[in-house]
Amino acid sequence: MSTVTAPRPHAVDHVDVPDNYLTHSRGFLSWILTLDHKRIGVMYMGAVLASFFVGGTFALLLRTELLTPGRTIVSADTYNQFFTLHGAIMVFLVIIPSIPAALGNFVLPIMLGAKDVAFPRLNLFSFWLWLAGAGFTLYSLAAGGFDTGWTFYTPYSTTTTTGGVIPVLTGVFILGFSSIFTGLNFIVTVHKLRPPGMTWFRMPLFLWALYSTAIIQVLATPVLAITLCLLIVERLLNIGIFNPSMGGDPVLYQHFFWFYSHPAVYIMIVPAMGIISELIAVHAHRQIFGYRFIAFSSIAIAMFSFLVWGHHMFTSGQSGLMNTIFSLISFSVAIPSAVKTFNWTMTLYKGTISLTAPMMYALAFLFLFTIGGLTGIHLATLNTDVHLHDTYFVVAHFHYVMMGSALIAMIGGLHHWWPKMTGKMYDEKLAIAGCIIIFIGFNLTFFTQFMLGSQGMPRRYYDYQPEFQVYHVISTIGSYIMGIGFLTTAVCFVQSLRSGAPAPANPWGGRSLEWQCTSPPPHDNFKTTPRVGNPYDFSMLQWNAAEKGYDVDPAREAAAFAAEAQGEHARGHA
Amino acid sequence: MLPIASSLIAQVAAPAATPADFWLPAGASNHVAGVDSMFHWINYICYFFFFLVIAMMVVFVWKYRAKEGARIRLDGLTHHQGLELSWTIIPLLICMCIFFFGFRGFVDLTTPPKNSFDVNVTAFKWGWQFKYPNGAQSDNLVVPAGRPVRLVMRSNDVLHSCYIPAFRVKRDLVPGRFSTLWFQSDVPTGLDESKGYHLFCTEYCGTGHSNMNRKVLVLEQPEFDGWLTKQAAWLDEIPDEELYFKAGPKIYARCQQCHSLDGTAGLGPSWKGIWERVSNPASATAFTDGKSYGDLIGPGKEYATPEDYIRDSIYNPGKHLVAPYGNVMPTFKGQLNDRGVDAVIGMMKHLDEFDAKGAWTKSVPVATK
Repeated sequence: MSTVTAPRPHAVDHVDVPDNYLTHSRGFLSWILTLDHKRIGVMYMGAVLASFFVGGTFALLLRTELLTPGRTIVSADTYNQFFTLHGAIMVFLVIIPSIPAALGNFVLPIMLGAKDVAFPRLNLFSFWLWLAGAGFTLYSLAAGGFDTGWTFYTPYSTTTTTGGVIPVLTGVFILGFSSIFTGLNFIVTVHKLRPPGMTWFRMPLFLWALYSTAIIQVLATPVLAITLCLLIVERLLNIGIFNPSMGGDPVLYQHFFWFYSHPAVYIMIVPAMGIISELIAVHAHRQIFGYRFIAFSSIAIAMFSFLVWGHHMFTSGQSGLMNTIFSLISFSVAIPSAVKTFNWTMTLYKGTISLTAPMMYALAFLFLFTIGGLTGIHLATLNTDVHLHDTYFVVAHFHYVMMGSALIAMIGGLHHWWPKMTGKMYDEKLAIAGCIIIFIGFNLTFFTQFMLGSQGMPRRYYDYQPEFQVYHVISTIGSYIMGIGFLTTAVCFVQSLRSGAPAPANPWGGRSLEWQCTSPPPHDNFKTTPRVGNPYDFSMLQWNAAEKGYDVDPAREAAAFAAEAQGEHARGHA
Repeated sequence: MLPIASSLIAQVAAPAATPADFWLPAGASNHVAGVDSMFHWINYICYFFFFLVIAMMVVFVWKYRAKEGARIRLDGLTHHQGLELSWTIIPLLICMCIFFFGFRGFVDLTTPPKNSFDVNVTAFKWGWQFKYPNGAQSDNLVVPAGRPVRLVMRSNDVLHSCYIPAFRVKRDLVPGRFSTLWFQSDVPTGLDESKGYHLFCTEYCGTGHSNMNRKVLVLEQPEFDGWLTKQAAWLDEIPDEELYFKAGPKIYARCQQCHSLDGTAGLGPSWKGIWERVSNPASATAFTDGKSYGDLIGPGKEYATPEDYIRDSIYNPGKHLVAPYGNVMPTFKGQLNDRGVDAVIGMMKHLDEFDAKGAWTKSVPVATK
């Protein structure tokens, strides 16, 4: 076992401390039965990345099919199954669990200075549920696939003859519980396991984001579960709930579905925003600008997210009054997003900016999220949405938000915490090259789709009018470039695992608690409860050239703590 | 601000054709001006904020970039109440303005005038049927120019959505409900399909979703009236003996998506050899319930003649399913009258006179000209 006496990494000799969470125990069972949040996070990450590979392969097949009007490589029915699978895999298996369950699981307890999440067994159970849900989704392919679109709109989904509909609905139902349990765990952990001294406003912003996300997960996901149950009941037992030929109402289904799936959009983007707050502050070595505004805007987005679902239905037949109200409330979501964007930009002002790969991803996020967010205005506005609804404009908009923002933040976060997770550094130049290639490919792919959509190309089309072909060809070329970018990034990670230099405890100069334990962290994270300060006070950091990382100047640290204590003392008497 | 406001408030009454630009396709209805100016104004606001954020980002990153391990500067602002409130409140005000003008435009978009000309629209997997007040029907939507047109729409099976990009209108068709949509176009196209405006289905509905598109043809009022009268009677005007080759191919255009003429597999059985199959009692082809044609067709059986069987298959397609096909064909009850069915049956009887695309390959006999 370790002989660590000092809690500070810079006092620790790496050679003498072989024990970490990766080497703590060995064997397949030690992973699949582990209660360690770090191992569960790593397993989630592996599973999510594998799903991303599958979903991405479907995306490339779709784009290849769309190179020419009519048949290029597959039939219309196969195409319909491909886009359904691409959507369902990317939403339910990749983006929803990617940040909270994979990165969040790894980082959240360490950021809190805790040994684990509040309910480690529930945490492991939620991963098993994810595996079961993914298993059902795979099984649905063997059972005949499904061609309903990831939205499962009725009556098509209850009448289509493809055999995999019920298995995939069951799979998504189970995945929902995986998500609920993770959310529940995080809420309790943030409330109960914060160390002494970490008040709500001393939490790193990533924790605020995960906390807001967890609230949405717990409140919204049960509605999805109920909806999917009703859908299964209707399809299996012919009980008319949504199908008008049996006395049901298809618009009711859309209300139920979007009551979950709109908040789900924020389950995807809010934790991404949390990551960006960390990446920008840490790699610019600069107190985040407007901490409270960013923290409260996460909570505001979580609250508004429940009140805007009807903006998916402006043309579907809901009443004009409802359209008006939903349009009005939808605009309110734009405000906290704008606040965050401006605050991140201001954080760069007078920073000490290291242009590392995580920072490059954060800048890419700022660029792409601004486009994704601003094009939301076209869609929230009633009369322009009528023209743009269900066209490629919508496809481009949500890819800019879901992929250009949520996924880019996830990959940026993966680079950021990679040294902590694996104990290895990666090749910075290769990682930045990957980021730039992905960025170029992404914009080629999806910016053209804005034009496709505003020119009138409907989505989910296998065949299209010849005048749209030039846009489709550019978009497809972009998707191949993006594929090369992801491949480059994968090579970079594999190379790091095989021959990466050992990572110092604090390679970037972060101040939240995860940078105070070794890389990779020991099994129990911290031997003693760490001392909590302002997570964005970088004043005591100094560069350690031997370690190629940052460490803390004890004198300046003491000064910072003293100043902070005095500040609080003064406020207490004010 | 004045030109902005006036261009938005003037919900331009004069419908005219507008050329395509970088973002939007050519427009040809009364809704185009309102929707397009809204779209462009939102774009201008987006350009402004996008370039503002990106410019700040680029300048700051360039100016404050630092080498690894550089001394950390500590003079940055940590917060600024005034700045933060201003970028909360200004976007809020802008958003409320956009909402208001969007709402105004939407009210115009969804409130048809009282004197509109009504067309009934039925969508089904995978096609459209347009019915006019005098009983005429058509596969393409034909409307009079210079007059408000209201579509009263319904779906026979799953969700569909009627989208005419050139008119900037869209509305879902929900089974079990009626929905409406209106527009006025002043730009005649004539009856040439290649000049018509696209009409797309924009709610995913399965295999034929992307081919569920038709054309909108706009005719001057007198030409429209003539077309309408002729269209209502077109089947009646064709002599009986010419019905199968004059009306047959036109009706077949609605069948060809699923039924081939040359034996190619489709969503439904090919028509190749269909008449030989149904009129031969010993025909081996069986239905999904195991019955053969001979079990169903013949004197004293469910269908006395093969013609009866074909007719019922068009009106009640799910009753007897030919193996291995599924129950996917929509009913044509109310869309195809007896003469239409006669034309289809006649075409089936003379399939050798048609090419694989359904065009009649013989020339009209001189005697019947």
